[in-house]
Amino acid sequence: MSGSLLPRLLLVECPAPGAPHGDDGGEHLRRFGEVVEALSAVCPWVDAVRPGVCTLPIKGPTRYFGTEEAVLARVAETVAVTTAVTTAVTTAVTTRLGVAEGVFAAALAARSGTVVPAGETVRFLAPWPVDELGDPELADVLVRLGLSTLGRFAEVPAADVLARFGATGVRGHRLARGLDGELPGYRVAGTGARLVAVLGHALALQDRQRGFWGGSSAADERAGEVLTALGRRLGTDAVTVPALQGGRGPADRCRLVPWSPAAAPVAPAPGQRASRRRAVPDPPWPGRLPPPAPARVAATERSVEVVDGVGARVGVSARGLLTAVPARLSIEGGPWSTLIAWSAPWPLEERWWSTARRRAARLQVLTADGTARLLVTERGRWRVEATYD
Amino acid sequence: MLAERVRPVAASRTRLLPVLPPIAALLPDGGLRRGTVVRCTGTAAPSLAMAVAAGPSAAGSWCATVGLEEMGVLAAAGYGLDLERLAVVRAATAEWAVAAAVLVDGIDLLVLSPPRHARPAAARTLAARARERGAVVLVVEDRPAFPAELELVVETAQWHGLAEGTGRLRSRRVTVMAHGRGSAVRPLRQELWLPTATGKVAAA
Repeated sequence: MSGSLLPRLLLVECPAPGAPHGDDGGEHLRRFGEVVEALSAVCPWVDAVRPGVCTLPIKGPTRYFGTEEAVLARVAETVAVTTAVTTAVTTAVTTRLGVAEGVFAAALAARSGTVVPAGETVRFLAPWPVDELGDPELADVLVRLGLSTLGRFAEVPAADVLARFGATGVRGHRLARGLDGELPGYRVAGTGARLVAVLGHALALQDRQRGFWGGSSAADERAGEVLTALGRRLGTDAVTVPALQGGRGPADRCRLVPWSPAAAPVAPAPGQRASRRRAVPDPPWPGRLPPPAPARVAATERSVEVVDGVGARVGVSARGLLTAVPARLSIEGGPWSTLIAWSAPWPLEERWWSTARRRAARLQVLTADGTARLLVTERGRWRVEATYD
Repeated sequence: MLAERVRPVAASRTRLLPVLPPIAALLPDGGLRRGTVVRCTGTAAPSLAMAVAAGPSAAGSWCATVGLEEMGVLAAAGYGLDLERLAVVRAATAEWAVAAAVLVDGIDLLVLSPPRHARPAAARTLAARARERGAVVLVVEDRPAFPAELELVVETAQWHGLAEGTGRLRSRRVTVMAHGRGSAVRPLRQELWLPTATGKVAAA
């Protein structure tokens, strides 16, 4: 298991002092609310998972504070100051911090005050007993099979888990393998709303936090997290963002470049449009295809045969004209489609100054089924460049 | 509100993602309801999906595609998608569900072309996850298989501007029919230019 899909979280646990389940008239919840409010100043992405437990993604604040240690110190201090103020007379609240990927692992990390290094979450989970999955029945079965730890359970092939242990088994197995981050039922829905109710005031945090990380919005930050996580999982080449550039054809004019957090968009300063990736917005390229642009640009080469009414091949002459009236086309040796409309060829002579010059022409064609395509011919061969889907 | 800060997607009071006016006429709520799956089918489905995604994208939502590596980015920009908040994800057939699940965690709008033999269970899981996260999944497929709250069908499509040996593709007139569950039981129809001569979407 390489790399986790799950966000790296700092989990803060503020257990209720005294009787954990005793009714203290909302006192504990109010104190917890104050902790969450104070933490929101450290990071705008505090997630109140359940009363007494909140998480924040550690990546963004780390960029801001420099190191994870600095973030941890800041969070610990913030929590200590807040709880010292609110619990001056009563017993001190013991707060626990942990860092790992996903809420489940982060909660276990908090229990032992551990900062699990990035990418080590599955290894960290391995020695914990299967009882931690919160399903006594499942744990019982697993222990009897000798699968007493999360690590042993994780080694069971995924395909066997559903058949043997059912849906709850699959959920537990995914947790053990670091694929899911949260035990079902751990999160208490509506905790955030209850905090607002118990604090008795709406907190105007929004304005202060907009653009917290050097200008990019919270949505950008969150999108960046998932794209980075996905890149780790699928390979960085698999997660791409578009970059427009100069060129004549649709394929020339757009390039997909691997996503990198450094290329993330930056919210524009007032009166200024940020456009890092839009390198060349609209250069006057001669021979460029007029709009509208095709909805699908071929990624792989698909050859086409274009013939006239008697089945003879149609080409483009040196003067840039069609050699015959095209009647039908066949893609990759597939069935023939009747042409109902076609353009005059767009001659395209690129790099005319170079000996490796490329003489080509483009042709828009419309077949009887209503599909419009952009074809290219080069050295006597046609291929599909794009489809106007 | 703190409640919104701590659980921004799920607790957001904005349950609708805004769409462009010509598209709004097709949606029973006038916008894309968060946490739902919307399916686009028919010949112009890829273009329709771009036009639907353009509204949220222009309003600041992130948009990601899975299974649409061939998407014409120039066309997408023409319809109004913000290319600075667009990610194109190439996932192997075996990994589309994982990729989609990860994306709906942090991105408002997922445009998905599922593999031909996508397992119904995987589709249901993704729909449940999108519901939980408040994301919208726009599915582009020829053969309706993916469960969806709303279906947008391109019933007719006619290109204008190209003749026999002359002219060029200028605009396409389409009829889109929307139908679905709940408030979308009564079908809605809208004639659109998809695209217009300048590559945008407009009511016809």
